[in-house]
Amino acid sequence: MAQRTAEDRKRMWRAVDVALAVVLTVGGVGYAVYAIVGRWGLDQGYIGDRWLDYVFAAWVSLYVTTIAFVIGLVIGFFFGWIRATRSVPLGKIMRDAKKVADAQGLDHVPFPATQIIWHGFKYIVRRFGDAFVAVIRGTPLFVQIVFVWSVLLIRVPTLNPLVLASIAGLIALTANTGGYQSEIFRAGLQTVHSGQVEAARALGLSKFQAMRHIILPQAIRLVIPPLTNEYIGLLKASSLLIVIGIEELTGFGRREAFDFFKVFESFALVTAIYLLLTVPLSRVIAYVERRLRIPGLGIQEVTAPRAPRAAT
Amino acid sequence: MIRVVGVHKTFGPLHVLRGITLEVPKGEALVIIGPSGSGKSTLLRCINLLVEPDAGSVFIDGVHVNRPEVSAEWVRQQVGMVFQSFNLFTHLTALQNVMLGPVRVKGMEQEAARVKAKQLLARVGLAAKAEAYPAELSGGQQQRVAIARALAMDPKAMLFDEPTSALDPEYIREVLDVMTALAREGMTMIVVTHEMGFASNVASRIVFIDAGIVLEEGHPNQIFGNPQQERTRTFVSKILR
Repeated sequence: MAQRTAEDRKRMWRAVDVALAVVLTVGGVGYAVYAIVGRWGLDQGYIGDRWLDYVFAAWVSLYVTTIAFVIGLVIGFFFGWIRATRSVPLGKIMRDAKKVADAQGLDHVPFPATQIIWHGFKYIVRRFGDAFVAVIRGTPLFVQIVFVWSVLLIRVPTLNPLVLASIAGLIALTANTGGYQSEIFRAGLQTVHSGQVEAARALGLSKFQAMRHIILPQAIRLVIPPLTNEYIGLLKASSLLIVIGIEELTGFGRREAFDFFKVFESFALVTAIYLLLTVPLSRVIAYVERRLRIPGLGIQEVTAPRAPRAAT
Repeated sequence: MIRVVGVHKTFGPLHVLRGITLEVPKGEALVIIGPSGSGKSTLLRCINLLVEPDAGSVFIDGVHVNRPEVSAEWVRQQVGMVFQSFNLFTHLTALQNVMLGPVRVKGMEQEAARVKAKQLLARVGLAAKAEAYPAELSGGQQQRVAIARALAMDPKAMLFDEPTSALDPEYIREVLDVMTALAREGMTMIVVTHEMGFASNVASRIVFIDAGIVLEEGHPNQIFGNPQQERTRTFVSKILR
């Protein structure tokens, strides 16, 4: 009989693992469907008639969430980046200019205006970002949505109510996710070790090159998991838009439930659709994470650590 | 090649460098020793302008470099630096680490840079590890890649900031061997180290720095065998043991 190698055993256990996962998933879903449809009497006719409307409502959810999330990425990266850097106080810029003037004569002093403008800009943006994050994190999204909506209602009362609500909803969701994402980016950028930047600068890379080629590639791997979390959280939080009359998946399901007295059917369907959106998404991101994974950087594989292939 | 004249640096209330003056002619290897906190690392960082001196001048190859008109990026291309904690780019392989400088800073073609990087890795004895990530290398291997990375910029001089202090004893030799070979080939080097064997074999001069000033300077035999200053004597007796 052939000797079983460690590799064979590993392959065998992997097969068992996959088989077990398939059995459990199929069994679990099967039993849930059996219980819901067979034992608790789900009205299949209703679902057969209406499911396409639910899919459309889910499309609204996805659409709004994705637009807010993508714009939020830009806002979040911008504020996260500025808040992760230092700006030089005005006094130091003036002292430095004076030092050059003392040492080499007034002719050699580059007028410090560009420095003052740049650092002043960073200072103001950072302070604004601090306040922005404090407001966003310190108040419920529900309140933010109603607040933006009420402001628009006062400022542009003539606007078509549905358009007005859509704009208000998008602004509120975008601002909200932008605030949270700026914290994600700030943490990601600040986690990159300062020695990495020092080494890059010592090679002669500029600040922007160091950001582009050293910090960003490392930070991106660190922020993918929390950003995924944020997207899924936002998808679910978008259901709050119902308070200003935007009917996405949850809101639509709620109306259906009470219009047709089909609470059970409606929310079973809503649950199923949310899961159909979020579970595959998580899977895709997990795959991306695996593809980008680098030994010794960020989140590592969930196995016993292999001994480093070192020391010849 | 490198000349430092009256360099001062303060960090807040801390006066780290109090007027350092030293000169390293082309092809010479200078070793700096001194107690921790004496300003050795700060001095190295003042030379490639990772730290900007408050007063005094730094000359590299005759060019006065710590002036606003001289770009710090240009200065850093002239002198390579090797750090105590290696600081290899974690997300890049050994080969990519070495290629990054030539490609991004000098605008070299990818293929040419790859060939050059492979040669440099071979020179530090790591041709076989080109595709390994830093986390997959031992400390000694990482530091040798770091040396190759600095050499890839064709620097006129090299700065070593305690390159073996973070290494397990078994890996120190391989790094010192690479550095010794480099010195023998005529590279101008400033090395902060407490490896006395390396210092006496390779250094043409040793500088003892204490509390931000050059306290004593001389041939290795003199510094180790017959130090003139009391502080030097105490320090040397501690590290020679």
